[in-house]
Amino acid sequence: MKISREARQHAKQIYRACHAGGQLDAERLRKAVQALIAQKPRHYIPILERIRKLLELETHARTVRIESAVPLPDQGQSVIDQLARQYGPAMATDISVLPELIGGMRISRGSDVWDGTVLGRLNQLRLSLTAAETA
Amino acid sequence: MTHPILHLFLAAAPAGGVAADKHMLEQLGFSWQHLLSQMIVFILVAWALKRFAFDPTIEMLEARREKIRESMANAEKIKKELAEAEAMRKEIVAKANDQAAKIVAEAHAAAEAQGEKKLQEAIAEAEHMIAKAKEAIELDRQKMKADLKAEIASLVVKTTAAVAAKVLTPDDQRRLNSATEAQLASKN
Repeated sequence: MKISREARQHAKQIYRACHAGGQLDAERLRKAVQALIAQKPRHYIPILERIRKLLELETHARTVRIESAVPLPDQGQSVIDQLARQYGPAMATDISVLPELIGGMRISRGSDVWDGTVLGRLNQLRLSLTAAETA
Repeated sequence: MTHPILHLFLAAAPAGGVAADKHMLEQLGFSWQHLLSQMIVFILVAWALKRFAFDPTIEMLEARREKIRESMANAEKIKKELAEAEAMRKEIVAKANDQAAKIVAEAHAAAEAQGEKKLQEAIAEAEHMIAKAKEAIELDRQKMKADLKAEIASLVVKTTAAVAAKVLTPDDQRRLNSATEAQLASKN
C-alpha cells in the first residue's frame, strides 16, 4: 500500500507524540489509535498503516534475543541489564537454549549481533576457508 | 599491160578543156544527183547510226565503264574496310587476350588471397577454440578445487563441532559466555 507523504508525516508526528522520556508509552499510543479510528480523519487508514510499521520497526530494534548453548545461570538477566544500560530498556526479550550452538551465546538487539558461539566461530572458519580458495 | 581506166585517161588527155573533163566524168559514170543523193543518204545513215546505235552504245559503254569504276572503287573500299576490320579484329583479339590474361592473373591472386584468408580464419578459430577449452578447463578446475575445499571445510567444521560438543565443560561454557558479555561491554 502506497502511503502519501502527508500521511507519512502525520503518522510520524502522532507516533512521536506517543513517546515519553524517549520511551514509547503504550497507553498513549492505544488512545491515539482509538481516536484515529473514531474520528476517521482524511487518510486515516494509511496513517494507521504507517504507525503500525513504525511500531514494528521500534519493536524489532528494541527486542533483545539471547540464544545460548546451555541454560544461563541468571536466565540472561545480566545481559539484559547491560543492554538496558547501554541502549535503554528493551520492549521485549526472547531467551532460548539451542544446543546446536555447541558453546557460548549469541545476543542480538535490532540489527546488532554479538556472536560468541562455537558454531558462529566455526561458520566464520568455514567462510574464511571458502573465501581463501576462491580468491 | 596497162589498166583500162588509165587507157581512158590517156585517150582523153589530148582533147583538153572543161568539156573534155565533163565528158570524161560522164564516161566514168559520175553524176551530181547521184553524188548528192548518196551524200544525203550517207548523212542520214550516219545520223541514224549515231542517234540510234553509236550514242546508246557509247552511253551504255560509258555507263558500264562507270559501273566498273564504281565496282572497282567499291572493291577497293571493301578491301580497305576488310583490312581495317582485320586489323580491328586483331586488335580486339589482342585486347581480349590481354584482358583474359589479366583476369586470370587477378583470379589467381584472389584465390591465393582467399586461401590465405581462410587459413588465417581457421587458425584464429582454432586458437579461439583452444582458448575457450583452456578457459573451460580452468573454470572446471577452479570449481572442483572450490568444491573440494568447501567439502574439506565442512568436514573440518563438523568434526570440530562434534569434538567440541563432547569436550566443552561447564567452565568452558561459562568462559565463552563471559567472553561474549565482555564483547558486549566493549561495544561502547
